[in-house]
Amino acid sequence: MKPKASVNRPPTPDVVENVPEREPTLQELINIKLIETGEKERLMELLRERLVDCGWKDEMETLCRAVVKKKGRNNVTVDELVHVITPKGRVSIPDSVKAELLQRIRTFLVSAAL
Amino acid sequence: MLVTVVYLLSYLYFFVLWNNSDVNVPKLSYFFLDLLDSIIVDVASECHRVARLGLDSNLEEEDEELKLSAQARVRVADPSNSNEANGKYVVDIFGQTHPPVANEIFDCLNCGRSIMAGRFAPHLEKCMGKGRKARLKVTRSSTATQNRYSRGGPSPGSTHSPYSNYSTNSMNRLAYGTSTFAGEEHSNGTLES
Repeated sequence: MKPKASVNRPPTPDVVENVPEREPTLQELINIKLIETGEKERLMELLRERLVDCGWKDEMETLCRAVVKKKGRNNVTVDELVHVITPKGRVSIPDSVKAELLQRIRTFLVSAAL
Repeated sequence: MLVTVVYLLSYLYFFVLWNNSDVNVPKLSYFFLDLLDSIIVDVASECHRVARLGLDSNLEEEDEELKLSAQARVRVADPSNSNEANGKYVVDIFGQTHPPVANEIFDCLNCGRSIMAGRFAPHLEKCMGKGRKARLKVTRSSTATQNRYSRGGPSPGSTHSPYSNYSTNSMNRLAYGTSTFAGEEHSNGTLES
């Protein structure tokens, strides 16, 4: 009787255990904390809601539509759109929205540190 | 004394925690810009999807309609500005100019005067002794009274010569009342349009 192929399977190589892990930076630790507690999703939704309310998103969509018309709908890529609208998008954030989000992030960091 | 020591220890504890938390603006801006960049990428990818799939044809039509309506609004605003400077003519919805008071000339069938169309109604109000102003004037009311007297009895009208004028007035009043006669007069009148 011919033995099954699974019996002669080569053994799994051992995991290398002596690789030293890089110490994560403070920003990465805070980011992990934000994701774990679900605060990042809440902040994202809040920011999206505020930007829709103040008309920022409509301005960005109009800008994207202008770029699409200029380059042609078949020649445009997402990277080009991102590169065009990121500088203008960052500049045109209302101060009230930015202040609110920064305050919430500060509150979260203080509560997480305690 | 003990309360003071506890208070100072609590203050020191929170102060150390606040310093250790290392909360400063550059890191907060870093997190905020991270969130913002995520949203910017979402908007860009959504617009790209709409453009590649051709879902924005309605938006283009709406943009065209908005442009046309804006141009129409501007075109309407400019002539009114020029006409406001003149202060004479008014522009209607079709772009035609009209004088503020209609200036066609009509002949009054009651007294035979030539009256402008814009002032014909007040003139009739005074000429025929009807309407709001008739009560205020004695002559108009007396004329109305005599008309009623002439309607009551035909024989006094025939006996006195001044009453024949009043019967003529009553005939004119009936003429104004009937629409067909008024239509005939308009066709015979000075309307040249």
